[in-house]
Amino acid sequence: MSARHVVAEWVLQPGTGKAIEVMAGQVLRIEQVDGGQCVDFNAFNLHDYKEFMHCGRTRTVHGFNPTTGTFLWSAPPRERAMFYLLADTVGRNDVLFPRCSAYVYESTYGFSAHTNCHDIQAEAQREYGLTPDDVHDSFNLFMATDVLPGGAVRISRQDSQPGDHVELLALIDTLAVPNVCGADVMRTSNFFLKPVKVTVFEATPEDLARVPALPALASQRTPKDFRNATIKADRELRRDAAYEPSFLNTPLTVTEVAVELDDDDLALLRTYEHAPLYRGDPGATLRDIFFSWWEQQYVTSPNGAPTVTSSPTLADERQPS
Amino acid sequence: MKNLVHVPLNRQQLELLDRTVARGAAPDRAALLRLALRAWAPAHRTATAPKEPAR
Repeated sequence: MSARHVVAEWVLQPGTGKAIEVMAGQVLRIEQVDGGQCVDFNAFNLHDYKEFMHCGRTRTVHGFNPTTGTFLWSAPPRERAMFYLLADTVGRNDVLFPRCSAYVYESTYGFSAHTNCHDIQAEAQREYGLTPDDVHDSFNLFMATDVLPGGAVRISRQDSQPGDHVELLALIDTLAVPNVCGADVMRTSNFFLKPVKVTVFEATPEDLARVPALPALASQRTPKDFRNATIKADRELRRDAAYEPSFLNTPLTVTEVAVELDDDDLALLRTYEHAPLYRGDPGATLRDIFFSWWEQQYVTSPNGAPTVTSSPTLADERQPS
Repeated sequence: MKNLVHVPLNRQQLELLDRTVARGAAPDRAALLRLALRAWAPAHRTATAPKEPAR
């Protein structure tokens, strides 16, 4: 195993965060110093801040608690893997809860001013010219959360220890922004704020070899593909009088496909478990059956995740595209 | 006895059918829909539906 070369290192004190350039092929390690500290995390494409990590996409693909072997995705229409989660010694990260904010501490606890992840992020991001409106939903490292029966969500105390860490391998050039979560009156960090250590390494060949291949798809669009690629620079919204709608594939014309069925087929159709949804419409019922079958036959990854293999060519072979 | 069922599909759905036919799953759209019916529906019948004996 090759030794990693340290590029830079910081210890983030309670109430602070740091915007850090992490280039493609570098590893960002976020490490417990005393243990028991939640870290909120934002990330942007270093060369285009409009591309940023999207918790919604990430949780859809990897679930509420992404850990080793998952990716951090950017928002549509980019939908690129920004980081690969190379190591996670605890396995309790969260993409369910939003960042804490000044409003939460004022409305719930009566604080006129209190450390909070939104404002810490905004202050750290200001170093790169971003504004408080640019802070996005947090990837919450070392945050123990779960969903209760019935849908309520819960934060629990955590048990991370000194030296526990998460390692993120950048797949594109990024501005990564970790911050020490400001919640000292909640369970998130066991009711006390502690420092965290942040290190940037050059990835070793062994690190790079661990990243599964992902297909590059035409639907992963960048500003060169946008009808309007200009970033709006004022705050007022005004209608564009020259706007002409241009929605993809519209109008969606419908064609009827005639299918000859024998009596046994028809009996199958009538007794299909979802037939009552279609109120006796055999065509709609058969359509449901077809797409249900197709999904089972050809979709290899759930929830819109790309097929991850060591060979993108094989993935394309599996699913008609 | 033959029964004719009309399946309404938009052009995106038809594209997926056609790609699947082009890959050799069935000779045409109608045959593909029948294939799906026979492969999928027997295991997904209503709880109250009488199960036919295995042939």
